[in-house]
Amino acid sequence: MYKLVIASVLVLFATMSIQAQPKGDKLIKNGTVITVTGDDLQNTDILILDGIIREIGKNLTAPENTEVIDATGKYVMPGIIDAHSHLNAIGVNEATNPVTSEVTMYESIDPNSVSIYRALAGGVTTINLMHGSANVIGGRNATLKLRYGQSQDNMKFEDAPQTIKFALGENPTRVHGQGSGIQPRTRMGVEQVIRDHFDAALDYRRNRKEYIEAKEQYDRRKRGNPPVPVAKNLRLEVLADIIDGKILVHTHSYRADEIVMLNRVFSDYGIKNYTMQHANEAFKVAPELAKNNAYASVFADWWAYKFEVYYSTAFNASILNANGVLTSINSDSGELIRHLNHEAAKTMRYGQTSENDALRMITINPATQLGIDDKAGSIEVGKHADIGIWSAHPLSIYSINEMTLVDGVVYFNREEDADDMRLDRAVEPELTFERSRQFLFETSDGRSSDACMQDVFFLFESDKELSMNGNSNIHNH
Amino acid sequence: MIKLFKCGILLLSMLLFTIPSFAQELPANAVENVMIHLSDGSVVNSGTIVWRNGVIEAVGEDAEIPFDAHVMDGGDSLHVYPGFINGLTTWGSPDRGDLESADDPGNPGYERAGIQPDRSPGELLKADDKNLEEGLKYGITTAMLSLKGEMLPGRSDIFFLHGEKTESGLFEQDKGVVFQFEGARGGFSNRAYPNTTMGVMAKFRQLMYDAEALKDHIDYFASAEGGIPAPERDEVLESLFPILDKHIPLYFVTDSPEDLERFFALQDEFGFSAVVVSGKNIWHKADALADKNIPVLASVELPKMPNWYKKEKEEENSENEEDTETDEEPEDDLTTEEELFRERQLKSYLQTVRNISSLMKAGVSVGFSGGGLDPDKFGDHFKVLMDEGELNQNDLIKILTANTAEILQISDKTGDIKPGNIASFSIRTEPFGEEKSKVFKTVSNGQIYEF
Repeated sequence: MYKLVIASVLVLFATMSIQAQPKGDKLIKNGTVITVTGDDLQNTDILILDGIIREIGKNLTAPENTEVIDATGKYVMPGIIDAHSHLNAIGVNEATNPVTSEVTMYESIDPNSVSIYRALAGGVTTINLMHGSANVIGGRNATLKLRYGQSQDNMKFEDAPQTIKFALGENPTRVHGQGSGIQPRTRMGVEQVIRDHFDAALDYRRNRKEYIEAKEQYDRRKRGNPPVPVAKNLRLEVLADIIDGKILVHTHSYRADEIVMLNRVFSDYGIKNYTMQHANEAFKVAPELAKNNAYASVFADWWAYKFEVYYSTAFNASILNANGVLTSINSDSGELIRHLNHEAAKTMRYGQTSENDALRMITINPATQLGIDDKAGSIEVGKHADIGIWSAHPLSIYSINEMTLVDGVVYFNREEDADDMRLDRAVEPELTFERSRQFLFETSDGRSSDACMQDVFFLFESDKELSMNGNSNIHNH
Repeated sequence: MIKLFKCGILLLSMLLFTIPSFAQELPANAVENVMIHLSDGSVVNSGTIVWRNGVIEAVGEDAEIPFDAHVMDGGDSLHVYPGFINGLTTWGSPDRGDLESADDPGNPGYERAGIQPDRSPGELLKADDKNLEEGLKYGITTAMLSLKGEMLPGRSDIFFLHGEKTESGLFEQDKGVVFQFEGARGGFSNRAYPNTTMGVMAKFRQLMYDAEALKDHIDYFASAEGGIPAPERDEVLESLFPILDKHIPLYFVTDSPEDLERFFALQDEFGFSAVVVSGKNIWHKADALADKNIPVLASVELPKMPNWYKKEKEEENSENEEDTETDEEPEDDLTTEEELFRERQLKSYLQTVRNISSLMKAGVSVGFSGGGLDPDKFGDHFKVLMDEGELNQNDLIKILTANTAEILQISDKTGDIKPGNIASFSIRTEPFGEEKSKVFKTVSNGQIYEF
């Protein structure tokens, strides 16, 4: 029986991989529905057709052959959205240049990582797969749905706006200033790198536009002097798109002064709707953030892993929230992502944040920060059927996620949770049983291995630490 | 006019005197009474091959042997196969030099970044590479050489193998540009751009944009009557022009299906023609490759057989041989978890070993690439491909000869034993694939090598 269950789950993943973004039909019956954007609804059904929530109400009927999920006594909530993750990347930091806006995490996705399944087990359905924080302007991020078993392309959250990673403070100054002896060496330098590149992007956009117009004219008329070509420049194109408001900025930051600095820079270039990531000192400048309509995505209570992260408080999210700053709680970790519900609940414990606001911090708020709040982050008719079904209220420490659906398709079912949930295509023929178990164990400790400074941790280690640890993964964000 | 006439006479007389030296032919060679295995699997028994000046003149049971031919009698026991073609290999490539640290890792310069599509394997050929000699011992007569390097290590040139004299055996030059998702050397401690796969992809795009702009500039400058400054020439970008123009393919080296997805994205953007090289585990993408009509020069290097499976097979074989019941104690009971693990491991192993066969079944054109593998390793892998890989002897011969020739667009001259083709073949003691089969002589571009 055991083998049969495993085999059926594996067959599910094997068949899914040959379809394009599967959408499911389901009738979830008689649950307590936490809509997040509206009231909680008791004994309520949700009808899902073709991956979209079509009806919410009592005693709903579904077309014939629609699979019914009995949620009696259970809590049905929107799939959790993690606005800061490096969960399944093949590379996180193109840490060779202070500005690398031309690279994109959409081209760094590992669709085979078992960590995707582990995050699904925690009720997470969407992540912001971010570039690391080694560069002042890093790469573009990837908004992904956790469709485990699908291709890279099919993991993309369709029509999600593009976002990009910026980073302030110690990480970029250490990597480039200290590591390579180039700008930025200081926080002042970080600001200057941003301004210089924005100015270059504006110049480029003008020159390129003029060239394209002149080229069209010359190629058509074949008269006058031909134009000198201005090559398309991917790095500057992206930066110009940021200024034009087409790309949302997510900025790794800790200190209040640098947060205010970035507000000022963005205000100078007319950039709106951006999110400060980590932002451990954001509580000090909450009114300023609210005034600029800037968002914050923070840890519940995680700090002191380097100098700039000592002045921190577990009240950060609650203070920001109380000041009208749209705030999310994120994981930045393959381990924390499995219990973001607990992380959100901490805002109630520490800052007396309301139950609904706490839940918003892991659903509709991160959705807003990623520009997908019209599609996900709450249970509403017309939205994607990204849903978690919990054994009890998800903010209770005793609650367990039992089932996770993305687009109405079940990707995690606790009843069918086998020991080895690797995808067939991720099974390496040369890996022995012993090594395989060891590997699964090692990679389960994501808290120390999935941080923003992946691959460049050694830059933060002293010679003594290096000799003790080798090139180990010291946690750093 | 008279002057012109005199010149004409002079030229004509020079031509007349030189014609005999052009027409002077080397004596022919012939091998008779051999079994000739053609690339399509058919066999000519008691056949004869005649060649002269490196070109096959006649093949068949009744092929006439010219009076001046050196004849070798195969005594109806030797087997002749078309010369194998190593579709892409780094044989003969110099190793990478010492690594210097980049002053500005973000702008390391072309060489430090591994962007060298202007390099030619022929010009840099390390003629004393033992594999150029060793290859002949295993029946390989032709190889498309590439260079060791990173993202764009160089162009590719086809050579006839002649051991240390391979340099003189240039067959065709500039057949393509090699590309791989290989960041600049040095890891993170001595890093240079591009360092990651996403960095390589972005850099590739930028190189294509820059090449496009330079090409426009050169064209404008050539056609305009002044009014435009001269373009700053750039050998690296200019060597990408034939890729932009789709004249030659990008030879993309990868084993990963995910990298292949990324490569498809680049191809969709730029529309270049492409050949995939190595592709050890890309059976997942067989249909996509077939749809896109992208051929594969496949590696034959296979994963190590799981120890427990090898043991099981050995036991099975010995039982069959002895045909007696074994009294050996059974292996310790496996846990359910380990049992399942073995099932999945074996499935994965067999899928990888059947990679080439899956590609072919999906309609992908598959040839052969030896990569950096030494030729003495080929035999073991060929055996596993025939035992477990769902390929037979004829499939392998076709992959090693006609298919590879077709993918490299040289099938009008090589890839089979027929009149007009280059005389490249090997003579074996037993049929290919049999345990005792050894190459006895190899003829590469008409030159005979005896072992």
